[in-house]
Amino acid sequence: MSVQEILADENELTHLLGAQQAVVLSTRVRLARNLEGFPFPGWAKPAHRKEIAERCIEALTQLPRFRKSHVFKMGDLPDLDRAVLVERHLVSKELASGKSGAAVISRDQTCSVMVNEEDHLRIQVVKAGWHLRGTWNIAEQLDDAIGATLGIAFSDQLGFLTACPTNVGTGLRASAMVHLPGLCLAGHIEKVTRALSQDGLAVRGWLGEGTEAAGNIFQISNQQTLGLSEDAILRHLGGWVKTLVDQEWNARRKVAQEEGERFVDRLSRSLGLLRHARLLTSAESMNMLSHLRLACDMGCLPEERRHVVDRLMIEGQPAHVQARQGAELDSDGRDRRRATAVREALRDFPEVGSPTA
Amino acid sequence: MANPLKCSVCDAVATVHLTQIVQGKVTKVDFCEACAAKGGAGDAAVFKLADAVNAVTPAPAITCPQCGFTDVEFRRRGRLGCPSCWQVFGVALGGLLTKVQHEIQHVGRAPAGTIPVGQLRHRLLAAQQELTAAIAAEDYETAAKLRDEVARITTQLDTL
Repeated sequence: MSVQEILADENELTHLLGAQQAVVLSTRVRLARNLEGFPFPGWAKPAHRKEIAERCIEALTQLPRFRKSHVFKMGDLPDLDRAVLVERHLVSKELASGKSGAAVISRDQTCSVMVNEEDHLRIQVVKAGWHLRGTWNIAEQLDDAIGATLGIAFSDQLGFLTACPTNVGTGLRASAMVHLPGLCLAGHIEKVTRALSQDGLAVRGWLGEGTEAAGNIFQISNQQTLGLSEDAILRHLGGWVKTLVDQEWNARRKVAQEEGERFVDRLSRSLGLLRHARLLTSAESMNMLSHLRLACDMGCLPEERRHVVDRLMIEGQPAHVQARQGAELDSDGRDRRRATAVREALRDFPEVGSPTA
Repeated sequence: MANPLKCSVCDAVATVHLTQIVQGKVTKVDFCEACAAKGGAGDAAVFKLADAVNAVTPAPAITCPQCGFTDVEFRRRGRLGCPSCWQVFGVALGGLLTKVQHEIQHVGRAPAGTIPVGQLRHRLLAAQQELTAAIAAEDYETAAKLRDEVARITTQLDTL
């Protein structure tokens, strides 16, 4: 079982032609669960952690959803492979940094379960585009299937018991990865972020907690997990994402109208630069690709090219670039390899035209 | 969600972490930037502050019989030791829970094959309120449906 297969296999986020949408890149649902009668991973002795991992992996790999799944034990993986999984959001940085964690990942990479992260089980489901109910339904089914074979720690008063008080109750974290170049260009992003935080939603960068919003991409998620039903949590997030999408479109149209030719020039320059650069840093390519995504959304480039942009955003990350090369590269080497991949992918892109959306 | 260590003085997020080894005895202490600056991080003064903090660290008042986790450990890590800790530290956690979650009663799903008591109680309360409102609005058709629902949930909860 190798991480190379993860890169090569057709999967939800980089290969699903047509599933990609303007503004919302992906929808994610995560459930924190623990086994009854075992200490949480952070307090468990190595022998306990090993037993927990064995039980969980055995139960998970028997589920239909995880037929022919990838099973990765963090202790067995080289640094680069673990970094690829983190960049794909298939495992967290915390899981990758420890030795006793493991991950079971479905063949299509939609479902992944982290074992021995902060909690015994972190069930995750991700879908390209905005599909909150569909994503939730899969997570719910998976949760029921897991609960039917493993005794899950639960109390009537506090719900699902987790290591950290910030997850107790539903253990549910639902999130949307949103691309907000319009609000960023219009200078409204701080105002929007503040409004979301005041209403109990967390706003983070592309790679989660403590990361910058490279490429104008933000992750919006609920914070409260206790005292609200799953349905209420999803409705709250869903309502805000809808508002955000509307506001983003208003901002895009306004900027495009006000800037006129300059708007098209800006997007066109990004395409030119990406097509001809010989060295591309991660941050630079993310910001230029953000312009191309905006161009696809607004009809300046054909919409069916959007999935190429999404794939380049994921595959342009440092560990991905090195894994493709099959070797560790220094900073210049990565920038050179990234530029080559981007150049090749964009070779037959048409010119940027005027917005139609 | 990653939970950062807390400052040993003021409970803010700790960004300065000190380890002192004196005659083989290891002492660890964490400070936020402000408290570290007060103590003069990086020189001898901060270790005096560390000594003072460690001297007042209370002995554990509560210990989980299941896993040996203590309240002192919880203050250090911000996470619990095992599912039973929730029962053991329940009262002590009450204040913290209202601070981070605003609520203290689960109203969501339950594990597969069990009755979602929290969800039922939540629905019961809502249905009772809706019933009162329906009666006040003289919407007797809705009220009748709600009365049946209230009765059904009450029976379900009583049989537990």
